[in-house]
Amino acid sequence: MTTTRRNLLKFVGGGAAGALLTPAPWRLITDTALWSENWPGIPRPARGEIRARFTHCTLCPAGCAVRARCVNGQPVSLAGVKPHPISHGALCPWGIAGHHLPYHPARVRQGPVKEALAAVSRAITQRGAGERVAVLDLRPGRTVSWTYRRAMAAIDDGLYLAPRQPAYAIDLTAAKTVVSFGAPLFDGWGTPGNVFAARANFRLVQIEPVETRTAALADVWLPIRPGTETAMAAALAGEITIAEAARETGVEEQAISAVKEAIGNSPAVVLAADPGSPLMSLNAKLRALGRTVVARRESPVPDAWKKAAPSTEMAAVPDKAIRVLLIDESLPGGYVPWQDIQPKLAPNAVVVVFSSSSEGYARHAQYVLPAPVYPEMAEDIGPAIDTVAAVFRIAAPLIAPVVPVVNPGELVARIAGLPQTDPLRDRADAIHKAGRGSLLSYADGKSTSMKEVTADDFWKTLNQGGCWMDDTGKKAAPAGLGKFGRSGTCPTAHDLPLAVVVAEARRGGLESPLMSKLERESNLRMTANRVALSPADARSNGIENGGRCVLETACGRLSVVAMIDAGVPAGVVEVAGGPRMADLCGANQRARVVRA
Amino acid sequence: MIGGKIAFASGMLLALAGGWLAFPRILYQTRQQPVNFSHKVHAEKAGAKCEDCHSFRDDGTYAGIPTLDKCSGCHTAAMGTTAEEKNFIDQYVTPNREPQWLSYAQQPENVYFSHIAHVKLGHVKCEQCHGNEGGTGALRPYQQDPISGYSRDIWGRPVAPVGLRNEGGMKMDDCVNCHRRQGLEYSCLGCHK
Repeated sequence: MTTTRRNLLKFVGGGAAGALLTPAPWRLITDTALWSENWPGIPRPARGEIRARFTHCTLCPAGCAVRARCVNGQPVSLAGVKPHPISHGALCPWGIAGHHLPYHPARVRQGPVKEALAAVSRAITQRGAGERVAVLDLRPGRTVSWTYRRAMAAIDDGLYLAPRQPAYAIDLTAAKTVVSFGAPLFDGWGTPGNVFAARANFRLVQIEPVETRTAALADVWLPIRPGTETAMAAALAGEITIAEAARETGVEEQAISAVKEAIGNSPAVVLAADPGSPLMSLNAKLRALGRTVVARRESPVPDAWKKAAPSTEMAAVPDKAIRVLLIDESLPGGYVPWQDIQPKLAPNAVVVVFSSSSEGYARHAQYVLPAPVYPEMAEDIGPAIDTVAAVFRIAAPLIAPVVPVVNPGELVARIAGLPQTDPLRDRADAIHKAGRGSLLSYADGKSTSMKEVTADDFWKTLNQGGCWMDDTGKKAAPAGLGKFGRSGTCPTAHDLPLAVVVAEARRGGLESPLMSKLERESNLRMTANRVALSPADARSNGIENGGRCVLETACGRLSVVAMIDAGVPAGVVEVAGGPRMADLCGANQRARVVRA
Repeated sequence: MIGGKIAFASGMLLALAGGWLAFPRILYQTRQQPVNFSHKVHAEKAGAKCEDCHSFRDDGTYAGIPTLDKCSGCHTAAMGTTAEEKNFIDQYVTPNREPQWLSYAQQPENVYFSHIAHVKLGHVKCEQCHGNEGGTGALRPYQQDPISGYSRDIWGRPVAPVGLRNEGGMKMDDCVNCHRRQGLEYSCLGCHK
């Protein structure tokens, strides 16, 4: 037999036909299909022992109790803790997806720690007379806040800066009528479970220019002209006539009368979007102080901590006085607009921010150090605005940090030369020593008087799922709400014709990528780069729905996408909250939108 | 013309031989277990039952292959005189190093299988799926399909009965056949949730 091209082709053809009669090609096809299902990067569910662990959510000051289902030590799902008397087993969507945060693709994963420390040390030793070292704490009321205050007391001219905190608590269970001036009662205000548990017993009057989620769920929504809230409050306080208020606010006289009558006849409370707003002092007129607006004690602290630096507001700091500014942005909290901070910085100031996100102060600081995110770090959470009694609860870490992180409290303590102790344990011991209140254990739902708990058991329960709750005692009126006084209405400027209304307070920091997908990409919530305009304003500026435009304020410009929404009243631009918008709008709530 | 037929036939024969004889031999990668463990010794001399080591956790999940803690419970010091035991203690127990066992029965990620439902509720004997593993004097080599990454015991029809171990009872067809025989539900979503 000679080897010809024809014979060679026949040999190959025979081989192919023969191969089809064997299992080899069929097996290779299915194996290849399976191989494609097992590529690296495809998430694999954890295997191993399934256990429930308890912690607390730190994503907002509500600090809801969390039951984490862990497989082989890895949290795979989060849920609320039913017997918890404040959170009532509820968790918000952010809380439910909180365990995704450590793996967020946009997380700050590294930072120049040594360089930052060297720069801070150099600036502290070389600073001139009157130049201050400051810590800005966006979530005051935590134990680490006390560490910052102690550290600043240990440093000459140290300053502890924090956004103003309400010196009161709201007892929703005691209210029959709630008058809310834009407070997002059902969308991030207070503790979600507590608000919804009390919801059946109060009537909600929501006063705000746009129909937010809270307005949609309120019993009455009064769409008020932006910037005229004080006129409405003055009418409710009896300082101006209802007719005058109606003219100014654009709300019907009958509706204002009905609200005035309701708050006169039942225990009521007035809430404002900003808890420090003068509108809150209207509660004194309603005789709500000591009934629905009450004073709350702070959880005990060790005696040695009481020589700590006082809390100072940014506005009280002289210009160009801060040489070193350390900003703890590790937890989402009250954002101080950068234009309020910048004038306070010395020309050669060193700004270090501890953050997991590059969205906030990381845009302005020289050094951005990666901070732990929930649920990576042991942290306590101060009481929420709707928590009447003092509480102490620890967010026990569920996993070790997945990237190298810096613990802000430890670093600031090191800079100030404070002794290296565990402040959480020290505070737990102080609370135990005070001997008041009770300890609730989540595993069995039992509440035990503190007099019957040993210090070690108290600490163990706090870390394994428990919460200390102070005795409520007799309700007392809070101090410092000030006197209600009517200020002028929002000025109209021809060059900035639109009033800025923040649609929803964004928490800042990271949020689960799953939530981004569900909410932001589907426009269920506004993203930071979107604004909503009334059809009339859009038409007069030549702006189309989905069109690119520029939002201009006295502080700057931002390229945004416009949405035309018939629910937005004329003369208003609705924006999302968040650091970028806060920096752009600040306290100056006027803007204009022009076509890009 | 005859030459062409011979060429075709020889190509075909070569492919058939390769596909039926060589392919099954090269399909699986063979690896040895880290420890020469004898189920038989443990069952006969120590009187151990399957569930003594392959236990259920308190929450009902199956613990699978025991961890070193379980072995150390008895083998902190040598109980016998065998070289295998001495080696195990020196290599793993004393340095507290977990043996990297190769699991014959590890199901893929897309399979949901509950041991407790089968063993406690269904009263299925271990041997029914795992064969006489508990009576063997040594662990057989672990065979893995390098393309799919699956153990030979859990996936793939028998390719060819040539010098290879008879396939076990932990493949999808085995599950379906058993459920069918007993008149039980065997829809896809029962296991592939």
